[in-house]
Amino acid sequence: MSNNYEEEIRNMVSEILEIPIDKLTPDADFFRDLNIDSLKAIEIVAAFEKKYRIIIPEQDIPKIRNLRQVVEYTAPLNKEPLS
Amino acid sequence: MIWDKIKIKAVLPHREPFLFIDEVIEIEGTQRVVAIKILRDSESYFKGHFPGNPMMPGVLIIEAMAQASVILFSIDRPAVAAEHPDYYLGKVKSEFMSPAYPGDKLIIESKKVKFLDNAAITDAVVKVDDRVIAKANLIFSIQKK
Repeated sequence: MSNNYEEEIRNMVSEILEIPIDKLTPDADFFRDLNIDSLKAIEIVAAFEKKYRIIIPEQDIPKIRNLRQVVEYTAPLNKEPLS
Repeated sequence: MIWDKIKIKAVLPHREPFLFIDEVIEIEGTQRVVAIKILRDSESYFKGHFPGNPMMPGVLIIEAMAQASVILFSIDRPAVAAEHPDYYLGKVKSEFMSPAYPGDKLIIESKKVKFLDNAAITDAVVKVDDRVIAKANLIFSIQKK
């Protein structure tokens, strides 16, 4: 995980979760390791949908469990961010 | 009137004196609702907030926006709402522009940002006449009993 898009995602998730960026490793499990609850999960989903103008289907959300999976899932859908 | 108190109470678990929606006057699909709350002189909180200078507490204005948001959620997710889950407010970003006084008619508008079965985000505003007196971004969870 080294390009700008991946780093941008890492920063965004770190900010929403209020977790230091060094703890947000690519394979840290959101639910088991980082204790994300449903409120934080929807915040992340909504932030991604707004910034990258994508829709993440509800049934896909539980499958995205770490930063690596976020990048793998969203990269093909990624368009130019709004800001 | 689109929704009266009977229909509102079928969705919201809140009851007087903690029910802050009198009627729903507008429903735009699953994207937006507009509700009304008339602030009567007899509202219990006016007595202490503040003696001789009654105004609606800001936290109760947020509660009114949250209740309108739950109504919108119930329209978007009728199967989830039919199970009468618990709704827990989790995070609020709010701004207050001016107070609400006895006699004011609050026009409470809630718009869907993102809904899932177990969590929801809305943007809400409260107006008195055409004046926005408060706005908030609300995040709440929905938990089966």
